[in-house]
Amino acid sequence: MSPLDQILFFYKLEQTMNNNDSDIGQACKPSMVDPAALPGAVPAKASVLRARLAKILAVSGVRTAADDGLPSHFSFGVERVDAALRGNAEADGLPRGALHELHAADKSDRTSAAAIALLMAQRCRFPDRILDPAAGQSEHPILWISESGEARRQGRLYPPGLAELGIDPSAIVHVDAPDSIAALRAAADGVRCSAMGAVIVELAGKKPRGLDLTATRRLSLSSQKSGILSLLLRSGSDPENPLPTAAFSRWQVAAAPSVALAGNAPGHSAFDITLLRHRSGLYGLSARLEWNRDDQVFREQQSEQRTPHPGAVPALAAVRADHPGARAA
Amino acid sequence: MVIMAADRQAVSLGLGPGMKLADARARVPDLLAFDHDQLADADLLSRLAEACERYTPMVAVEPPDALILDISGAAHFYAGETALAQDAEDRLDTAGHGASWALAGTPDAALALARHGLKEGAEAQLPVTALTMDDKIHQALERAGLYHIGDLAERPRANLAARFGTELSLRLDRILGIEDRPIDPIRKMGNVVTERRFAEPLTHIDSALACLSELFAEASERLNERGQGARMIRMLLFRCDGDVARLGLETGAPTRDAALFQRLLRERIEALNDALNPGFGYDLIRLSIVAAEGLAPQQLRLEGGEDRQGDAIALVSQISTRLGRERVQKFVPADSHIPEQGLLALPALNAPAPVAWQMQPSGDPPMRPLHMFDPPQRVQVIAEVPDGPPHRFTWRRKTHQVIRYEGPERIASEWWQRADGQQPGQGGLTRDYYRVEDARGRRYWLFRHGLYGEEKANPDWYVHGLFA
Repeated sequence: MSPLDQILFFYKLEQTMNNNDSDIGQACKPSMVDPAALPGAVPAKASVLRARLAKILAVSGVRTAADDGLPSHFSFGVERVDAALRGNAEADGLPRGALHELHAADKSDRTSAAAIALLMAQRCRFPDRILDPAAGQSEHPILWISESGEARRQGRLYPPGLAELGIDPSAIVHVDAPDSIAALRAAADGVRCSAMGAVIVELAGKKPRGLDLTATRRLSLSSQKSGILSLLLRSGSDPENPLPTAAFSRWQVAAAPSVALAGNAPGHSAFDITLLRHRSGLYGLSARLEWNRDDQVFREQQSEQRTPHPGAVPALAAVRADHPGARAA
Repeated sequence: MVIMAADRQAVSLGLGPGMKLADARARVPDLLAFDHDQLADADLLSRLAEACERYTPMVAVEPPDALILDISGAAHFYAGETALAQDAEDRLDTAGHGASWALAGTPDAALALARHGLKEGAEAQLPVTALTMDDKIHQALERAGLYHIGDLAERPRANLAARFGTELSLRLDRILGIEDRPIDPIRKMGNVVTERRFAEPLTHIDSALACLSELFAEASERLNERGQGARMIRMLLFRCDGDVARLGLETGAPTRDAALFQRLLRERIEALNDALNPGFGYDLIRLSIVAAEGLAPQQLRLEGGEDRQGDAIALVSQISTRLGRERVQKFVPADSHIPEQGLLALPALNAPAPVAWQMQPSGDPPMRPLHMFDPPQRVQVIAEVPDGPPHRFTWRRKTHQVIRYEGPERIASEWWQRADGQQPGQGGLTRDYYRVEDARGRRYWLFRHGLYGEEKANPDWYVHGLFA
């Protein structure tokens, strides 16, 4: 319920009290004017009441439903990226109540895209300033929707792996939709439900059935209204021709080589993210991010650590077999 | 081949069950014979049992050919118990089924009477075969001159039990109505049952749905008195031609919310494979609350706070109703070190309270993949030494060069689950897991299935998961 609705509720209450001519009604002397007779008086009165309610709530320290302590934007925690994403908004990062689109650069980058989506949802559920593992652990689940056929072929979400990324697997509501239309429908329901922390819908293929401007606009509008982050995850999409959607931003995600640990072991999860489209700002931003599970924050992979893999380029043989001289010898 | 069942016409020609098919053909050359389909018979019987729920909620199936209806206190819609039975016979007759019935104080007595074509009070005239013991006992009883149940009833029980076992005296008591036996109804009784009967059948779906909503409102009023809410709701729509439509709803939390009920009902009807067809109309609609749980009234916040928990559960209920309860899941850890068995995906509708998952110590990269293949997918691996780490692997016709690796993490099989698992070589194959990264930065979870040389000469390699 938005603050305005609450005001109207109080307003009606007061109006009925006035009609009853009770003592409390007498106390509110300025509101004795019949609002039906004076249409212009209504907004004025609403604003007066809104100010009064805000004062009362501020004094009593009650957190209202609309303001549950979550900011309107969420960030990656990387200063360069967040500042670039600011656009013409008043806060850094991406807006929470919006639809964002994540494309896997390649079919084999599906896992990286899924991880970015989950981590964005996690950043959204636990922003920096209320990073308290006990707060709202079960209150805002993530609704994860995927198509069952694709999950069977390309691998399904593995909860211990989620725990390794710092996401509590019991906060996931996993929906195995039979097809993309059912998935989008479940997502539309989920985005309207204010109890959700984030809604992630994963669709595979170049042109999933049911995914069009109308469907994404529905998601986007519901998201704006409820303030719930919705993420559209696409794998196997055509990079030349991504379907037109009403998403606020569009990202491309690819796996990136990690910084090796001792003994040349694979290191922390690393991602190459590229901003392909942004409603209110620049695009073309790209970054190589690493996920820091302990602080629940992304960090940029350090450039000095970004040495190319020693094995990425095949070593040249001392004597090249295809060399004319070698053949002669 | 032997005749298992015969229709009325065949019986009037002197044919019957137990007769050889060849003999029957000799008597009636143009006989039509069909193969006996036990499953179809059982299916028909259970459908008839459902149709008989219009008389009483306590209907039990007695295979292969009988139904038991407990009509105690259920006959007040009819002139009497006999009228009720007569009505059932008429309806079955209209549907093309012959039936013989009997009323008795106990289910066994009624069954025996109906099978032998006798009526209430004629228990003494039943032959001893009505005891349904084995043939030897029946023969022995007949040799002793005891042809009817009445003859047995006069004998002292102790002698009969000494000669033929206590089973016989128990069955005798049940037929004579001395001892009762509980029946196993096809559906358990609902906690709260509300129903409407219509003199003029409802032929519109909308009015039937409106009726269901009214019934739910009535039921939730009664639940409210008990401080309960509905978890499972069952609805039966009886069509006047004997067809029964069944609808079931399940909610994630106890509810008395009529709006939620209507939303779920709409979802349920949309999700039906064959749409509701009122046909000639519904003459009886029944709604029962099968499972209910305590639901205390809740105080909302003064300034209009929302019931978040309730909203989340309502959403889960709604999607579960639409897609099926198995498709909306919550993850629960399971006690197993085998990676694919370490979790349970339970229906979110009745998931247990969240359990803490094991988290890795800080600073480590993820040791478990984000996506898992179940079953693991086969890969071709080239390793420098047969029991060493992978050097290069081919998966889905693409070759990946391993740049970094970590491992092996050795996971033994659950040998204690197998017979002779403690014997060497019988405990199953050990897996050696490697975390590897290829040149493009993708991270895979590979394993070698079986220890080289000890367990397997040429172990296979599989990819089990993908890391972020």
